[in-house]
Amino acid sequence: MAREDDLKLVQGVGITKRFGGVQALSDVDFEVEKGTIVGLIGPNGAGKTTLFNIVAGAIAPSSGVVRFQGEDITGWSAYKVCRRGIARTFQVTRPFGEMTCLENVAVGVVNRQPGCRRSQWTALAAECLEAVGLRDLAATEARHLNVVQKKRLEIARALATRPELLMLDEVLGGLNSQEIQEAVAFIQGLRDQRRLTILWIEHVMGAIMQATEKVIVLDQGKILTTGTPTEVVNDPRVIHAYLGD
Amino acid sequence: MSQGASILKSNRKNFLYGAGLAAFAVLPWMLGVYNQHVLIVCLFYTMMAASWNLIAGYTGQISFGHAAFAGIGAYVSGILAVKAGLNPWVGVAAGTVAAAFFGLLVGLLCLRMGGIYLSLTTLGFSEILHIIINNEYEITRGTMGLQVPGLTTSYSKISYFYIFLVGAVITLTIVYKLVHSNVGLNFRAVQNDERAASALGVDVVRTRLLAFTVSSALAGMAGALFGHYMMLITPHIPSLDQQFLVLSMTVIGGLGSFVGPVIGAFCLEILSEYIRAWGEYHVLVFGLVALVVARFAPKGLVGIYKAWRGKKRPETA
Repeated sequence: MAREDDLKLVQGVGITKRFGGVQALSDVDFEVEKGTIVGLIGPNGAGKTTLFNIVAGAIAPSSGVVRFQGEDITGWSAYKVCRRGIARTFQVTRPFGEMTCLENVAVGVVNRQPGCRRSQWTALAAECLEAVGLRDLAATEARHLNVVQKKRLEIARALATRPELLMLDEVLGGLNSQEIQEAVAFIQGLRDQRRLTILWIEHVMGAIMQATEKVIVLDQGKILTTGTPTEVVNDPRVIHAYLGD
Repeated sequence: MSQGASILKSNRKNFLYGAGLAAFAVLPWMLGVYNQHVLIVCLFYTMMAASWNLIAGYTGQISFGHAAFAGIGAYVSGILAVKAGLNPWVGVAAGTVAAAFFGLLVGLLCLRMGGIYLSLTTLGFSEILHIIINNEYEITRGTMGLQVPGLTTSYSKISYFYIFLVGAVITLTIVYKLVHSNVGLNFRAVQNDERAASALGVDVVRTRLLAFTVSSALAGMAGALFGHYMMLITPHIPSLDQQFLVLSMTVIGGLGSFVGPVIGAFCLEILSEYIRAWGEYHVLVFGLVALVVARFAPKGLVGIYKAWRGKKRPETA
């Protein structure tokens, strides 16, 4: 039993969120096993980003419990969740526009390693930029980046916080099929080399099919089904949710 | 750029700063008493604008209580000297601590809410303080002003000039060190995007609280020194007139830049000596100019200069 719990890095139990009269999530249960890449899919408005925000501490659930490595982290502030080892990217990127790319990433470094010197955070931040291929733009202010580069910067910043769980929110937007292939290989590489666990919201189904071990499908704030990518895409309820009658 | 060239460049920059400071330090010997006074007031406003810039320019929180905190510093120091016979230097230290304490208190009350709440609360705080000072006549002497002892045994403008020069250098050093430390990264991250900052592990409330407390403490120190220099503390020090003057200096000089507030303080103080005949209308004019600058050149004179230099030498941009 204890061993089984060890395998669950994150667990949500009965997560419910109401915004006024709108029921964004109702009674959602999910688990992400350590070392896996889990896809989170569903039609627009299904509640995927709301679920992300609840796990990341950006908003508190109306009811339900979020556990990380067995510890109840429900309702923690975002910065505490980050320091505990959960990093997230934003679907609509939120760079610190007037800071350089290096400084953007350095914010993540210095808050996970308080008291680290400038030379240390410069090296660590440069390494994160290198990982996403933005090394050459280290001294550029983030507002000058294009959309794809901004998405990469989101990932570099998240990596800088040394997470155990990395939550990606639609990082493939704007890429062509060649670039999607590279990005999928890159994300799998992150899991293998940095021993990360990844929870990944994505609309590009091809990438989800290829990269994930498990897929959670949300529809209208409820879990529709959970299974391997092949099981999920062949599930008539999933097809129905996406395509309608 | 190679590392050697960059060190050489930074050495040259330090040398220029040092030479400029040294030239400035001998300046009062060549000036008359009136101009010495203007320089001292310039240095006072440098301290005020540079410390206000710390909260407004680097974390994006607009405090309207900066003059009020200067007033707390001045009155605490002055009252201790007059009523308790305390050494004015000890009073200056006590005034600084008192301003920090009230800054922390106000910050704890409203920084959690963010946005416009600090502005509203500090505006109210400033008015309340004003009413208290005007009405507690027995202690503060109200609008008559409180006569206080000076900081030196024999009064000379030159010695006050050096006191204020040291005060300004201390203020600027603290601001520089903070902004260029790891905390400074957090300041700017919070100003750019709070949500992204907290997702990266920044404790937004604590970061703002630190900036606001240090900023208020530095205002307290400036106010206390100024009170002892004038040897008369009036409710003009913690007035909104002063607040908007400091705001205009910072915005016109360059919000969020290190030298901006210094330039703004000197330009506006010297200018207001020339247009003194207009009475208090000059503050109104500065306010309007600051509005125009904030709209069309949000980085102030420093930003305009940088853009101009960037155009002239595009390869360095």
